[in-house]
Amino acid sequence: MDFRTLIEPAAILPALKATSKRQVLQDMATKAAELIGRPEREILETILNREKLGSTGVGNGIAIPHGKLLELDRITGVFARLQKPVDFDALDEEPVDLVFLLLAPESSGADHLKALSKVARLLRDPDTVAKIRSFQDAGSIYSTMVRSTTQNAA
Amino acid sequence: MLEDLYLVILVGTVLVLLAAFSSLLASRFGTPLLLLFLSVGLIAGTDGLGLEFDNAGLAYFIGTLALAVILFDSGFQTPISTFRQAAAPALTLATIGVLGTSILFGIAADWLLGIGLFEGMLLGAIVGSTDAAAVFFLLKTSGIVLRDRIRSLLEIESGTNDPMAIFLTIALVELLSTGGGFEQLGLSVLLGFVQQMGLGLVAGLLGGRGIAFFIAKLSVDRGLLPILILALSIAVFALTGALGGSGFLAVYVAGLYAGNAGLKRAPSIRRFQEGMTWLAQIIMFLILGLLATPRNFDAILIPGIILALFLIFIARPVAVSMCLWPFGFRRRETLFVSWVGLRGAVSILLAILPILGEIEGSYAFFNIAFVIVLTSLLLQGWTLASVARWLRLTVPPRIGPVEKFELELPGAADHELLSYRVVEGSPVATGSRVPRWARPSLVIRNGRSMRYQYAGRLQPGDHVYLFISPRFPPLLDRLFASRTPVAEDDEEFFGEFTVNPDSQASSLAEAYGFELDDTENEMTIAEVMSRRLGGYPSYGDRAPIGPVELIVRETDADGVIVSAGLSLSPPDDTLLTFLRTTGSGRSALGRLFKGTRSKD
Repeated sequence: MDFRTLIEPAAILPALKATSKRQVLQDMATKAAELIGRPEREILETILNREKLGSTGVGNGIAIPHGKLLELDRITGVFARLQKPVDFDALDEEPVDLVFLLLAPESSGADHLKALSKVARLLRDPDTVAKIRSFQDAGSIYSTMVRSTTQNAA
Repeated sequence: MLEDLYLVILVGTVLVLLAAFSSLLASRFGTPLLLLFLSVGLIAGTDGLGLEFDNAGLAYFIGTLALAVILFDSGFQTPISTFRQAAAPALTLATIGVLGTSILFGIAADWLLGIGLFEGMLLGAIVGSTDAAAVFFLLKTSGIVLRDRIRSLLEIESGTNDPMAIFLTIALVELLSTGGGFEQLGLSVLLGFVQQMGLGLVAGLLGGRGIAFFIAKLSVDRGLLPILILALSIAVFALTGALGGSGFLAVYVAGLYAGNAGLKRAPSIRRFQEGMTWLAQIIMFLILGLLATPRNFDAILIPGIILALFLIFIARPVAVSMCLWPFGFRRRETLFVSWVGLRGAVSILLAILPILGEIEGSYAFFNIAFVIVLTSLLLQGWTLASVARWLRLTVPPRIGPVEKFELELPGAADHELLSYRVVEGSPVATGSRVPRWARPSLVIRNGRSMRYQYAGRLQPGDHVYLFISPRFPPLLDRLFASRTPVAEDDEEFFGEFTVNPDSQASSLAEAYGFELDDTENEMTIAEVMSRRLGGYPSYGDRAPIGPVELIVRETDADGVIVSAGLSLSPPDDTLLTFLRTTGSGRSALGRLFKGTRSKD
């Protein structure tokens, strides 16, 4: 699975301003709605339902909210780098400043999980994460991610 | 005459000292310590420095006594909860597993050496049991943390399979020395088994009760108490044996009973036992090393190593897979249990029996058994930790280091006085309160004592004294542990995401797009996990559910899942690679066998 099919440069919010977990998810849902042309409310509801099962904050300031949407035609990612970290109820109790939202079609089965673990692996690499944190523009963040995933695949 | 006496004592002491010092070497290089003990004996022996010792009878006598001490201690140190957790699979391994291994080994030995099936099985019985000392020691020093269920299984198996191997060996030696054949096998041996084990079990339970009763009622001098227990345990061993039961089983059961009877002064008894066990092991290995004559190994070296490899790669794995099959172990776990089939002193000890029974070719038996034990200790002992890591069976340490001291309380078996030193970064040092049930009583700070209520927030370096019921220390350990460094593979172990175990399982199914049956649709995630794990979830357990895997991160004192993780990794393919490689390994071994056979 090519990482570039998961996210496009336009889906990166390089300096999102938000003061709460809910606001972060709301803003990212708005962005996703723009990209895939589905109602924002439906998207937000899906990811909030998943958060109810347990926070998707995976530690070290990173969160990967995700969910499945009916009638979506492909897996779609939205990435946000927050200007100020917000509390995300993560297990390590650290506030979160990097959020990767991943939406998948209802029928995507194993691909959904593969995409998720790809994203999780990407954001587990300390060098990549440090670089992403240091950039202020969508283009640099995007190329860092792509470079890191192609290197790891090789 | 008197000079001789001093000389013998001096030589003996120097050997024990050398063995004891070699333990420093062992922990530095990760060598199986028992191998070093054995080597000290070998080096000092007839083909090394020239110490002559060929009294097989005396060696067997000393070894038996040492084994009784070791088995009592291994029962005594086993918490009954550990025993319960693994009893069924472990006892299956300890009985059917030993029998199966011996038979398979017997067939191979007969085929390879042409010594006859009975003789082969005798050799199989001799090397049929795993060595408690080796297993305990290597699991402890290898620095790996295994899942509870696997660790308990290995410890209980190695502690309980000696009686079976001993029984089989004795039965076969008797059969062979009376010149009996297959027709004598069967009923009488089966009856013998029932008698030995039945008597052993009953005598062990009675003996354990007796020992517990004595300790509770008699107010013996503090220093005398451990000696009294040691003497009583050996009395149980000897009496059971004299009555025709298995003394080895009895002494283990008595230890298990006494060790879990909530005795007062248990900590100091344990410390004494630990010391005695060390001594027993050192002496046993030294004597067995002295008894061996390495120059005679040449003749049997190649077949011995081939048989050892057969035992390690085929006989034990086959027997273990058969025994564990009904218990729902994963294949990786079964493979690991097969690998921890460490042979040790008991095998060498049992190899003396054919000599004493004056069976033809008995010295060759002894030498082959010796080579097999050496191979097993070298190959399996040395690689145990890496194999565990390779099969991904190690779990990250649950908590960081704790500095804790147990203090004895006179006359209070159901409470313990614990003292913790507060370490930097531990939850208590960063503001967590100590729960009321722990009865925090006293704080010592900078040499001054104060009551907990007035001590304010605990500071690093404080000593806190708590007075609690033995059920709770694991929970307290968490509070006093320094922060666990997050290991790199933690996420692999605990899953990328957390899930709330109290949520409905149906919403999880919805989020990840899979179906549950009607019963599970009504359950919480914790209930589904527990159901799929056979009712006893324990730390690190993984329950596949739909396309994901749920992992137990934490259970409370009652075994209820309080924290769970979710892993996205699809079932791993390392196992497949492993099976493929061992598959080809087996055929290579097969070719090797054919090769040696045609050479013969």
